[in-house]
Amino acid sequence: MISKDQVVFKPPGLFIRLMNKDLTPYSNYSRKTTFWSTESMLAYLLLLPCMAILIAFMFYPIVYVFLMSMYKTNRIGMLVRFIGTGNFRALFNTREFWEITIRSVIWTVLAVSVKTLVGLAIALLLNVDFKGRKLARTLVILPWASSVPVSAMLWQWTYNYDFGLLNYTLKITGLWKNPPHWLGYPLSAFFANLYVDIWIGIPFMALVFLAGLQSIPPNLYEAAQVDGTNLWQKFYYITLPLLKPVLLIATLLSSLWTFNDFNVIYILTKGGPVNSTDILITFIYKYAFTFLKFGPASAMAVVTFAILLVLSLIYARFYFKIEREQ
Amino acid sequence: MKQKNKGKIVIYILTVIVLLILLFPFFVALSTALKPLKEVYTSPPHWIPHKLWWRNFTDVWTKYPLAHYFVNSFIIASGATVFNIILCIPAAYAVSRLKFYGRRTLLFSFLVVQMFSPIIVVISLFKIFAKLGLVDTLSSLIIVNTVFTLAFSIWMLNGYFSTIPIEIEEAALIDGCTRLKTITRIILPIALPGVVTTLIYTFITAWNEFMFALTLINTAAKRPLTLGLYDLVGRWEVQWQYLTAASLFAIAPVIILFILIEKQLVKGLAGGAIKG
Repeated sequence: MISKDQVVFKPPGLFIRLMNKDLTPYSNYSRKTTFWSTESMLAYLLLLPCMAILIAFMFYPIVYVFLMSMYKTNRIGMLVRFIGTGNFRALFNTREFWEITIRSVIWTVLAVSVKTLVGLAIALLLNVDFKGRKLARTLVILPWASSVPVSAMLWQWTYNYDFGLLNYTLKITGLWKNPPHWLGYPLSAFFANLYVDIWIGIPFMALVFLAGLQSIPPNLYEAAQVDGTNLWQKFYYITLPLLKPVLLIATLLSSLWTFNDFNVIYILTKGGPVNSTDILITFIYKYAFTFLKFGPASAMAVVTFAILLVLSLIYARFYFKIEREQ
Repeated sequence: MKQKNKGKIVIYILTVIVLLILLFPFFVALSTALKPLKEVYTSPPHWIPHKLWWRNFTDVWTKYPLAHYFVNSFIIASGATVFNIILCIPAAYAVSRLKFYGRRTLLFSFLVVQMFSPIIVVISLFKIFAKLGLVDTLSSLIIVNTVFTLAFSIWMLNGYFSTIPIEIEEAALIDGCTRLKTITRIILPIALPGVVTTLIYTFITAWNEFMFALTLINTAAKRPLTLGLYDLVGRWEVQWQYLTAASLFAIAPVIILFILIEKQLVKGLAGGAIKG
């Protein structure tokens, strides 16, 4: 802090600068941030309640899941005996675990690529200036804005084989003469789930890309116009490279959300028929709360945690990198 | 000129197709909610109800404990919102304005943490709540919804606080304002849009939460909307004309709130990737 005589003897301009040093978060490198300076004390004090809650209800549970994954547990989830890597070894030896892990990867890759492509197409469409564009933009948001569990229930009714309007519409429009019993068979159920997940994810993609498109300076296109480029060249040489940071961050976010999608699968099919539509997230839940096998479920949770940690670290690092470049 | 018109028509046709596909289940919901029972369960079905059956929208309140579910959801969502904002304003102020050891690491970990699936911790949280005697209470849902929205809320608020010029705060401090007063009198009023966004975000997330409710709530009377409706779907005598009507009631408030904050949300998630 500034001593009193400094304030008296220095001109006001310098005083402001000194105060700046005290307040500006990162501009000051001359003064070392020591652990016990008054400012850090205040910071820690302000952070205390929030950190206490996070530690009690987030970090401690994560640690506990790690612990539980190394124990044999009984049906109410009590730790019975330490077995080290036993749960993991048992897990890695079952075919089902690998099938579901592979399915989770396929699920994520398929959904994210479709969301990205369709989202980009919609963004390009909405980037064109036409009457009613604002309304269209608002309507496009609705699948994302709606409550996911409720949407999943509406889709369950839409997919209904006898009374659902989806198959009826597909039939009368001639798009698909003989649509399947969507939720009744493994493959069609997988795609039915996938479609709903994609449907929910598209608006975010479209909005992010639209924001990205609108931040591209229009004079670039004008210059390209002068050079006589066609539409495709403009897209490939101007739009795509400038959209790259948005594309990367949006696909990363979307991968995390898609990988974590519990609600759609659980509500539409509960992972059925016979676990054929389960992904890791729903399988962990089923293992824990339906089969009451808490040890193996925790082991799976640890594996999933590792996957998510890697993905979210990439996201956060990238986020910080472009933030700094701004 | 002619070609330009043609282009416009193509754009309109494409937009209509996109909207028809994206709004499909909402059209289904509307169509079903306006049909009487007999029309709902005819095969093949039809889109336009022969007779508009508005009664479903009033009947559903007496047939199902919908009002009860609404109240529960409202208690959970507003409880979580209040706790969230009390916890995250001081924390966001600290990370955006104060200098301390570990600041960047902390900010970084908030961004990482908000991506974790609650499924990873639901097993141990269930045990913790059992020990605390909070299983099958609305309090447990208020707590989990607070916890799982906290990281993102701090992150969003941090973004807002950081945009406020430091000079304003300095001037106040020179004039003899205390820190607390600079927060309540200067930072919060300026960052009000950010605070409102955070409030709405928490409210919506808690309103839509399903997995924890499914795990922690047993008693029918304590079910929030999502779980209450899900339970009705599971019954064999489910009547979709009521359920679709109830669904429309359930999503209407969140859709309106969401549209208010959608731009800020996208900005917060994508960060520097989108300028402005």
